[in-house]
Amino acid sequence: MQSLLRATRSSNFANLSHGLPKRAFSTSQRYRQATPQEKPVLMKEFKIYRWNPDEPDKKPELQSYNIDLNQTGPMILDALIKIKNEIDPTLTFRRSCREGICGSCAMNIDGQNTLACLCRIDRDGGKNTKVYPLPHMYIVKDLVPDMTQFYKQYKSIQPWLQNDNPPASGEHIQSPADRLKLDGMYECILCACCSTSCPSYWWNQDEYLGPATLMQAYRWIADSRDTAGDARKAKLQNEFSLYRCHTIFNCSRTCPKGLNPAAAIAKIKLELSSE
Amino acid sequence: MSSALLLRSTLPRALAARHFARSSLLVRHASTATTGEDAKYKYVPGGPILQGTVNDPTTFPPPNPSHGSYHWAFERLLSAALVPMSAAAFVGSANPSVGAAVFDGVLGLVLVMHCHIGFDASVVDYLHPRKFPVLGQVAKWGLRGATVATLVGVYQFNTNDVGLTELIAKVWTA
Repeated sequence: MQSLLRATRSSNFANLSHGLPKRAFSTSQRYRQATPQEKPVLMKEFKIYRWNPDEPDKKPELQSYNIDLNQTGPMILDALIKIKNEIDPTLTFRRSCREGICGSCAMNIDGQNTLACLCRIDRDGGKNTKVYPLPHMYIVKDLVPDMTQFYKQYKSIQPWLQNDNPPASGEHIQSPADRLKLDGMYECILCACCSTSCPSYWWNQDEYLGPATLMQAYRWIADSRDTAGDARKAKLQNEFSLYRCHTIFNCSRTCPKGLNPAAAIAKIKLELSSE
Repeated sequence: MSSALLLRSTLPRALAARHFARSSLLVRHASTATTGEDAKYKYVPGGPILQGTVNDPTTFPPPNPSHGSYHWAFERLLSAALVPMSAAAFVGSANPSVGAAVFDGVLGLVLVMHCHIGFDASVVDYLHPRKFPVLGQVAKWGLRGATVATLVGVYQFNTNDVGLTELIAKVWTA
C-alpha cells in the first residue's frame, strides 16, 4: 500500500514538473520583453587629488581615473563611489546622505567648492574633471580635510538658544515675521564650502570666523527668542572675528544650498554700527 | 593653519629661517628639534599641534568697538564722503572765489586717511605681527610713517604751492 502511494505521488510530481510550465519570478517570456537599450561607451577622465599620510615623503598628486559615464550615476559622488568600488579602493573621501543634507562630501570640483552629491558630472567626455579637497585646509587623506578649526570656531559662537527669561509654561512663542528672519540661515549644513572659498579665511583662518560661522552667529542674533544678542554682538567687536570680511562674495556664489552668508555678515555689520 | 600658511608662502620662508626661535608658531619646533634648516620639517612625535582638546571653542580677542564697528563705520563714512567732496572740489576749483584752499585742506586730509585705512587693511590681512613678528611691525610703522609724511607733504603743497585741486585741474587740461 505504502509503495503504491509513493508511486502515485511521484507520478503526480512527474506530471506537474513536465506537463505544466514552471513559474519563475519573471514570468514574461524573453521575446515579449523590450530589448535593453545598448548605451554607447562614454569614457571620461577624472583627475583626483591623492595624498597619503602613511607616505609623508611623497608629494600630493593628481591621479587619473577613466570611467564609463553611461555606467555611472549622474553626480560626481556617484563617479567617486564607482571609482572606489571598481578601480581603486584606497581612494578616500567623506560621504553620507548622497542628497545634499549632511554636508560630508564638500570638495573642490573643477575649481568650485560644492557638494559632490549635488554636482552633476559634465558629460563632455573630451574634458577631464579635477577633484580637489576643500582649499586651504589641512588634509587628513586624499579628499578628507581636517575640520577641527572650523568646528571649534562654530562652537565659539555658542550656537544654541540662550534665554534668561523663559516662558512660565509651554514653548517660546515667535511671530511668523520673526520666524521669517531665520529663513535662509537655519538651512546651513556647515559643509564649509563658503568658508574655504573665502580668501580672507585662507589667510587668517586662526582669527577670522569665516562666512559659515558668521552666518550662524547672525542666525542666533536675529532669533527673537534669544536674549543674549548683545553679548553675541560684543564678542565680534574686534579687528579679526568679523571685520576681516571684505565683501568678496565668494561665499554666496559657491554655497551649494543657495544661501547667502554675505548678506548675513552685512546685517551683522549694520547692526553693530547702528547700536 | 597659520603655521601652514607660514611655511607655504615664499616670503615668510626666508623670514622663518631668520627669525626662527622668535616666532611663537614655530616654538615647538625650536624647543624639541635640533636647530638648522631641516629642523622645521622634522617630525615631532606627539608634538602639541593644538592646545587643549579638539572640543574647546576658539577664543575671541578682547572686545573693542574702535577696532570693530567704529572703525568700520568711520571707514565707510570716509569713502562715502569722498564722492560728494570730489564733485564739490571739481565744481569749486572752476570758481576760485569759493576758496580752493578749503577743498584742498579737507580733500588732502580725507583722501590720505582713506588711503591709510585701505593700506592698513592689507597690512592686517597679509603682514600681521602675530605671524610676522618683525616684518609686521616694519609694515605697520612704515605705513604710519608714510601717512604722516604724506599729510605733511600735502599740507606743504597746499600752503606753499598750487594745491591739490589746482594740480588736478592743471593735469586734466594739460
